[in-house]
Amino acid sequence: MSGAKRWGVGMLAVALGWGGVAGAMDTGECQGCHADPAIVKEGGGHLYIDGARYERTAHADVGCPSCHEGVSDAHPGDGLRPTRAGCGDCHDDTEAEYRAGRHADWAGCTDCHDPHEVKPTEVVSGPELNRVCTGCHDLGAVTASHGAWLLQPELHLEAVPCITCHTGAPGYVIAFYLERVEERPGRGPRVALATHAELAAVAGTERVERLVDGDADGIISLAELRAFNRGARGRGLRLWGMVLPDRVSHRYATLDDRWDCTFCHARGPEAAQVSTLSVPQADGRQRRFEVERGAVLDALYGTPDFYLVGATRNDTLSWIGLLIVAAGAAMPLGHGTLRFLTRNNRREG
Amino acid sequence: MQVRQRVYLTPTAVRIWHWLNALGILTLCVTGAELRFPEYAAALGDYKAAVRLHNAAGLVVAVSYLLWFGYYAFVARTLIQLYVPRREELRTGVVRQGLYYFFHFFRGTRENPFHPTPQNKFNPLQKTAYLAIMFLCTPLVIVTGVLLMNVAPLRDWVVAVGGLRFLAAAHWLLACIFCAFVFVHAYLATLGHTPFAHFKPMWTGWEEVEGGGAGGRHSKAA
Repeated sequence: MSGAKRWGVGMLAVALGWGGVAGAMDTGECQGCHADPAIVKEGGGHLYIDGARYERTAHADVGCPSCHEGVSDAHPGDGLRPTRAGCGDCHDDTEAEYRAGRHADWAGCTDCHDPHEVKPTEVVSGPELNRVCTGCHDLGAVTASHGAWLLQPELHLEAVPCITCHTGAPGYVIAFYLERVEERPGRGPRVALATHAELAAVAGTERVERLVDGDADGIISLAELRAFNRGARGRGLRLWGMVLPDRVSHRYATLDDRWDCTFCHARGPEAAQVSTLSVPQADGRQRRFEVERGAVLDALYGTPDFYLVGATRNDTLSWIGLLIVAAGAAMPLGHGTLRFLTRNNRREG
Repeated sequence: MQVRQRVYLTPTAVRIWHWLNALGILTLCVTGAELRFPEYAAALGDYKAAVRLHNAAGLVVAVSYLLWFGYYAFVARTLIQLYVPRREELRTGVVRQGLYYFFHFFRGTRENPFHPTPQNKFNPLQKTAYLAIMFLCTPLVIVTGVLLMNVAPLRDWVVAVGGLRFLAAAHWLLACIFCAFVFVHAYLATLGHTPFAHFKPMWTGWEEVEGGGAGGRHSKAA
């Protein structure tokens, strides 16, 4: 049945039901019309709900009538505009947190989150997080304004989602993603976030996460990362990392400590030790895998394309370098000592 | 008594280049240490200031290198003659010079076998070291530095050469070689007939050379 016909049938059903017992529609009935792309032609793009995406949201668990409770069986023939619940009716803590910041003066919840497609942060990639922000904030202007004080602003905005600096969090994690590397003869390779289909093509009959999680235990070890990286380029893949807050907050602000580079570019016993790897799933979500703590970021071959200056240095290389410097310093010391001890041999007669 | 001649060994352009380079490399060593070890080395305090200074010094050294290369390759046309050791120098000269520095020098029984002239300023050991430093390490440290300074715009090339960590590792090890070179270079410069004999020509251009080896047209008897 074509979309137009289904829309017509829906309208007919509503018309026939007119004057009958008015009751609330269920989600299936709502989707009958609103998940049909034909509704765009009939009433506008705002009426269309992508059924597949909606089904993956937590909101699908409560169903359409929970938020649009005023919709009767006579809809849309009753001419009434459907009621909409406020986000704060359920997410009252989050709303209160958000309202406390200046961002609330400029945007409401639905300016950033489409309630029919919203996903938890855990299943969203870093680039997807930033796309929400660039919906309003022009990326070029943001890059220019950050470039006035931040070195390599493009790199920082690629590797650090906006919320990492503009919301407070108890801690931060390094989130790795798989990128597809397309070799272009005569030019540099082109890289982009890998899709599930691209990874599936590489993985063959195996699940895509087995590309990295070789033993399928759900935890990425240092050995597994090394094994992945050894063959990654040959398979057109690589890892890319971003710094993410470990708990997402809605308190948007310009935090004073973020002006200091050492907030990220410093190394202490607890800095940059926790990391995750997100692998895209068939349903479009990212599945996060825990990565072996600490050592991964120090490993030269653990994360070849992620380097947080001052924070993720490799200790072995540091020692080799310092030995080279020490050897350079030892030569004058040793030669100078012998030179002093044998000085009488060089006195001109 | 040993006859000494004054030889005009180092032209003004080369002296300016040398000291600019020296200042740049020392700045790079200090700021580079702070960038890699922010929790231990905080010479400048502000990390961003250290990065900016490191980048600026890196650009100065890179431009300086290009000027040096251009001067010797296209103006003086003595790049190969001065900096690339000949086969004979590699076969016997390096050993002879090494024996002098690490054996005969202490015994005081033999003179330095090498006498610089404007056409042949560096002994075989120096030539070999400079060949590695100026023709291999410097270009590599500049290229890795430029890539690290421009990761986003040059991201394709960063990926092509092996990734950020490889670049950072190579840059770090090359920087350590430079740091070690500075120690050795400065010390060897004190091995003239007086401790400052080799420093003076890098400041005034003129060096007092022992023996009669100085055959340059600028040389004159002291």
